Amino acid sequence: MNKSTEINLDGNLSSSFRDPSGFMFTRDGKLYRQVNHYYQDNFDLLIESGLYERLIKKGLLIPHSVSDIPPANLDIAYKIIKPEIIPFISYPYEWSFSQFKDAALTTLKIEKEALKHGMSLKDASAYNIQFRNNQPVFIDTLSFERYEEGKPWVAYKQFCQHFLAPLALMSYTDIRLGLMMRLFIDGIPLNLAAKLLPSRCRFKMSLFLHIYLHARSQDYYSDKQIDSAKKTTSHISKQSRLGLIDSLETAIKRMKWRPAKTEWGEYYDATNYSKEAIGEKGQLVSEYLDITKSNTVWDLGANTGLFSRIAAEKGMNTISFDIDPAAVEKNYLACRKDKISNMLPLLIDLTNPSPGIGWACEERESLIQRSPADTAMALALIHHLAISNNLPFSHIASFFKNICNYLIIEFVPKSDSQVKRLLTTREDIFPNYTKEGFEAEFTKLFTIEKCTQISGTERFLYLLKGK
Amino acid sequence: MRLAIITAIIAGIMICVSNAYAYLDPGTGSYLLQILIAGLVGAAFSIKIFWQKIKDFFIGKKQDSNE
Repeated sequence: MNKSTEINLDGNLSSSFRDPSGFMFTRDGKLYRQVNHYYQDNFDLLIESGLYERLIKKGLLIPHSVSDIPPANLDIAYKIIKPEIIPFISYPYEWSFSQFKDAALTTLKIEKEALKHGMSLKDASAYNIQFRNNQPVFIDTLSFERYEEGKPWVAYKQFCQHFLAPLALMSYTDIRLGLMMRLFIDGIPLNLAAKLLPSRCRFKMSLFLHIYLHARSQDYYSDKQIDSAKKTTSHISKQSRLGLIDSLETAIKRMKWRPAKTEWGEYYDATNYSKEAIGEKGQLVSEYLDITKSNTVWDLGANTGLFSRIAAEKGMNTISFDIDPAAVEKNYLACRKDKISNMLPLLIDLTNPSPGIGWACEERESLIQRSPADTAMALALIHHLAISNNLPFSHIASFFKNICNYLIIEFVPKSDSQVKRLLTTREDIFPNYTKEGFEAEFTKLFTIEKCTQISGTERFLYLLKGK
Repeated sequence: MRLAIITAIIAGIMICVSNAYAYLDPGTGSYLLQILIAGLVGAAFSIKIFWQKIKDFFIGKKQDSNE
């Protein structure tokens, strides 16, 4: 749903091919969705039942306008709609625990609302949820179908694999298992989740039903043919459908994750910055950001988002990336509490950022494909990349050149206690790790617009502009 | 033993299942499991709503129709 999304030769989006109901395409740089005749009845019901209006009013579904541009595929077209643009597309493996949990609960809330209006979700993909104004919103307008009395929920399997299993693993086994969503494009296989969850989870009724028993049932029927002649009417009442949703909702609401003391959790207390120096650094960041006049800012290594907030307060759409699940969780909860709507905390390991995944590696975009940002910020980050990860300055400069136009970067010299700490247990194989070496490499790709020493420290803050 | 009982119940239900036409495969095992647990989750939900109504009656809270 963002403008940089990967486009096929025919102009259709690479992630939009599964559902015959319609597809996304771009024209003249604008994003549209074609609704096919196949989906006509359901689309009309979505509008006429009042479900669309209700979901829009509650902020649960992305709004759209009907467009009169010629369809991308005339023969099968019913309507063309133009959805509101999401500024940055994020993926489940980049969400913190509470973001993931909020996304799951939003999906269930939508299903309950749909059932009230005689409709139901026909898929429950985690990729159908995006964060808009820091709130989860459902982006697939064509995911609703008429509710048929007695029919089981077709998206039940997908919901369990996309939401229930990863959240249970993050909550009861290890928070890092959320990253498994990167390995399995259609959610975590339930028999794998059952193996990885601690055995005490078997005694939680909802997990027993929706993960353990579900996995057994899937495995049992995986190689069995069901005789269609024998398939007559079965019945699962609406009350049972509501009970199923309630059971999933209860299970998810019970899942908690409280960050223990992590590497970065208490970062601001552990740095060698005084209050005054942090204040001055913030002031400099603010001045530099004003020069860039940016719409989009990526703060890389943002920790709990102290400096991201400066960009967000200026009305810039800010993505606050960090490697630490605890920092991202704290950042997200703080943004929700303080009602900061234009700042999105996300989990990213910069030394191994999200790749393109899915069919032809194009269904879900890599981090780089979702760039550039007008400005990237790399505060107190360079020593982690150059020393902890042995990256030469030339590699770091070239990466930043790819993802931004302006770069606000802090140089932390070897004499700084944080760098000394990194070097205590290893050989210093970094003769070029100097201010001069840094400037020599970065000025091949950037021009130095500003460079100021942060008083009370040996660190320098640069504003660089891409050549 | 538990698995044997479960599979026997699922197999029993299997013969009276309607076709599921969807662009995503809902998965036979997932589909049948829902039918198996429908009574349980439906009853649990009914009891929950019932207790909620009793609680609301004594607390004097009016049900929010928006929820």
